[in-house]
Amino acid sequence: MANTIDRLADQVRENRIWRSIFRSGTGESNLHRALTVQQNVFLHLFSVKARKRTLEFSATWYLGALTFGTFLILVITGILLMLYYHPSVPQAYADMKDLQFVVSSGVFLRNLHRWSAHAMVFLVFAHMFKVFYRGAYRPPREFNWVIGVVLLLMTLLLSYTGYLLPWDQLAFWAVTVGSNIASAVPVIGAKMRFLMLGGTAVNANALLRFYVLHCVILPFAAVVLIAIHFWRIRKDGGIYSGESPAEGDAK
Amino acid sequence: MKNNLHALWQFFFGDSARAFGSASVILLALLAIAPAKNHFSEWRHYQKQYLHLIRGRADAVTLERHFQGGIQQIWIPEQQVTDRCTTCHLGMKEASLADVSSVAFREHPVIPHKLTEFGCTTCHRGQGAATTVEEAHSATEQWEQPLLPAKYIEAGCGQCHLENQTGTPFLNQGRQLIVSYGCTHCHTIKQGDGSYVTPDDDPPSLKHIADKTTREWVYAWIKDPQAYAGTATMPNYHLSDDDARDVSAFILAQSTPLEPPLQPLKADTKAPADPAAGTSLYGQSFCASCHAMQNAAGMMVGGNVGPELTGIGTKAKPEWLQDWVGNPSHYDPGTMMPHYRFDAQQVVTLTGFLESKTEPDFIANVHLDPATPEQIEHGKRLVVENGCASCHDINGIKKPENFAPELSRIGSKPLNQLIFVEGVEHSLPGYVAGKVRNPRAFGPSLKMPQFKFTPQQIDAITTALLALTDRAQSQPPTMRIASVQQTRYQPAGNAGQLMRDLRCFTCHMINGHGGDMAPDLTWEGTAVQREWLTQFLKNPETLRPALIRRMPKFNLTDADINTLADYMMTVYQTPEFDRDSLLVSQFNPAQVEQGRQLFYSKFACQSCHIADYKNDKGYIGPALAATGKRFNAAWVYHWLKDPQALRPGTIEPNQHMTDDEARSLTAFLMSLKSGGAQEAMKK
Repeated sequence: MANTIDRLADQVRENRIWRSIFRSGTGESNLHRALTVQQNVFLHLFSVKARKRTLEFSATWYLGALTFGTFLILVITGILLMLYYHPSVPQAYADMKDLQFVVSSGVFLRNLHRWSAHAMVFLVFAHMFKVFYRGAYRPPREFNWVIGVVLLLMTLLLSYTGYLLPWDQLAFWAVTVGSNIASAVPVIGAKMRFLMLGGTAVNANALLRFYVLHCVILPFAAVVLIAIHFWRIRKDGGIYSGESPAEGDAK
Repeated sequence: MKNNLHALWQFFFGDSARAFGSASVILLALLAIAPAKNHFSEWRHYQKQYLHLIRGRADAVTLERHFQGGIQQIWIPEQQVTDRCTTCHLGMKEASLADVSSVAFREHPVIPHKLTEFGCTTCHRGQGAATTVEEAHSATEQWEQPLLPAKYIEAGCGQCHLENQTGTPFLNQGRQLIVSYGCTHCHTIKQGDGSYVTPDDDPPSLKHIADKTTREWVYAWIKDPQAYAGTATMPNYHLSDDDARDVSAFILAQSTPLEPPLQPLKADTKAPADPAAGTSLYGQSFCASCHAMQNAAGMMVGGNVGPELTGIGTKAKPEWLQDWVGNPSHYDPGTMMPHYRFDAQQVVTLTGFLESKTEPDFIANVHLDPATPEQIEHGKRLVVENGCASCHDINGIKKPENFAPELSRIGSKPLNQLIFVEGVEHSLPGYVAGKVRNPRAFGPSLKMPQFKFTPQQIDAITTALLALTDRAQSQPPTMRIASVQQTRYQPAGNAGQLMRDLRCFTCHMINGHGGDMAPDLTWEGTAVQREWLTQFLKNPETLRPALIRRMPKFNLTDADINTLADYMMTVYQTPEFDRDSLLVSQFNPAQVEQGRQLFYSKFACQSCHIADYKNDKGYIGPALAATGKRFNAAWVYHWLKDPQALRPGTIEPNQHMTDDEARSLTAFLMSLKSGGAQEAMKK
């Protein structure tokens, strides 16, 4: 039975179409494995090899991977929510009601998006604490730490911009307060607030701006930064496993 | 036990493959919850119930053909209506389900509107988008407006219908109360069509109050107006004894003497020999058309246009009463009371009668020391604080603007902007009704005084206020049925002056201006014969036997009557047809006889009208026994053809007569020339 499955799998992998996509081909050698990772646009962000120690739970508590997982959930549910949502003043709140009452599993979709967002913020912080207390931010990983901090900012901004979109009282006042805080910045405060809201009050323009930020600009920036973040892990010697910097350099 | 658990753990999560498998199954189960919840949603349950109900009925086939499963909605974007109520309320349009015991599936009571054109929440409120009972009907965390309680449902109508509707007695009453209790002296109410609600309670000016009454009376009155007259519309401010003392001190102190001053009592004219003369003059002048008075049996008799007169002798000074009865415009140029042309003897007689109507108990226990300047000063402060000048003209105090909150959108007020107190239901109707019932319960420092309303009146006012919604303000103008607005029509010349002096417009409407107590006179010149009109003005007789309110006798001179009659015959003509287009001389006896047949048989006019006092008993419409003396034939003919064209809203039915029928009936009616009603009664 197992042999049959293996044979079938091999046949598929030997297939010309398969080979035209995955060039590395079959084989058990280290070279093959290395090529599989290296020649795949997604996998090439990661190290070809990883220390066994770094794959254990205790090494990272999988916090980075979990954060990325919530991000994926958010992207998928977010795209589905976009199918039902109009970023306009008369429609936005009515769309929330439609999601609640009419769209099949609409409440589930919204709640998944919302709770994943909360989880992501929590996981990002947990991830950063873990990195900080284990000293994984030290050279040569200091640049990736900075990328991580920027990613924290992205996460928070995504949370904040998403908060306005339901267009309920909570959203309205949260953003009113938030934009007023921005206006407390010396000299350019008022200008910043105007830029943020597209006007002097939280209204149709603010809703549109926050929508574009939440669905286009910030996710795009986050994806690019996440890519860099992963790439840098590889370049900085794989996931930190507690080795001394010197050992890392020696690799 | 511990071993068992360990074995279980090993079985599911023993190695990575098992753990992955178990975790996947758990995740799948969790993910299945969402579609399961969707499948077992409430509305599906109700649709199943409905199907069960109709399958047991005789017309199951028809009902099932009408049934559509899934979420139903009425969507009217321009009215912001997205109502999914019909998802569960499936029998709304099924006449055969009118007897169903469950309200959810019963047919909607017959209304003049289509559900698909107006939606449900437009009138009922609630959350139209919701598909669960709780969310759709109640106030929830995310929704503030629950279903409107059934007793206020007419508020829904009032959002579009600004005019009085026969189907909304409660709403009409509430609006009438708001106007007649002068709510809008303090509160601004701007209706959806941009018009403002104007009060018609006509609170008196206090600028010359000292000429009219005493400080003791003022004191007792402001302590409790209803103790003086049960029908008084002035609210109770619950003033303390000291405050009432100071307010009365100021009110009297600010008063200035009338210009020209009141005449001293006409002592030279003797009191009438006949003690009943006053009563009969009061009756002949039809004072009771406007003024109420408690009779010996304790019953209130009379109209509510003017103030109640039960205790007038306690209130008004005799010299003021004489001045007022002689010519009310002297004291109050804006009064609605007509200028009766009483002679000196009549003035004394009527004043004597009114002076005898006293309520001595009302001021018996009031003993006030002369006011000190401090008391007057304090009184003035109280008058300003309580906004007395919102209603009354007072020397030295300007009418405050926006004294109380605007109520134009009170029907959509968010609950989080309201402050509730114990004992008031936590809902908008509860709040509004609570405020109307007992405003001071919301805090002793609040200024709104206590009105005296019955529970039924409170609900009526609440209904009218709840109709003042955002929707009423923002809906497209095509949705709105405007209220009838008074024009600024004023007749010109000598006749115009006379008509104003006689306050014809207090009761009669002409060209859209005036009251609705008496007939519209816009086309009176086409309708009646000049001869009859002059007779009527000289000595008005009742035309409608069932009415208590009648046209008073104004004691006009012949010259005045001629001026009025000339003006009315010339000016108040309909442009639709010529008064002389049909003449009595054109009729023949055969037509008269045919008309008589039509009157008594085909159209059975005698059920409402009287053509012959001996036999007919119709009391709904005016007596027609003197039609030939009163009306012009052309008017009668056109009236019979289409009554509503000549007087919109008249209850006379349009019988859709042929020209010949109308002509014959006119011939018959014009042949009726017996005397007036009173003459007939005497016989």
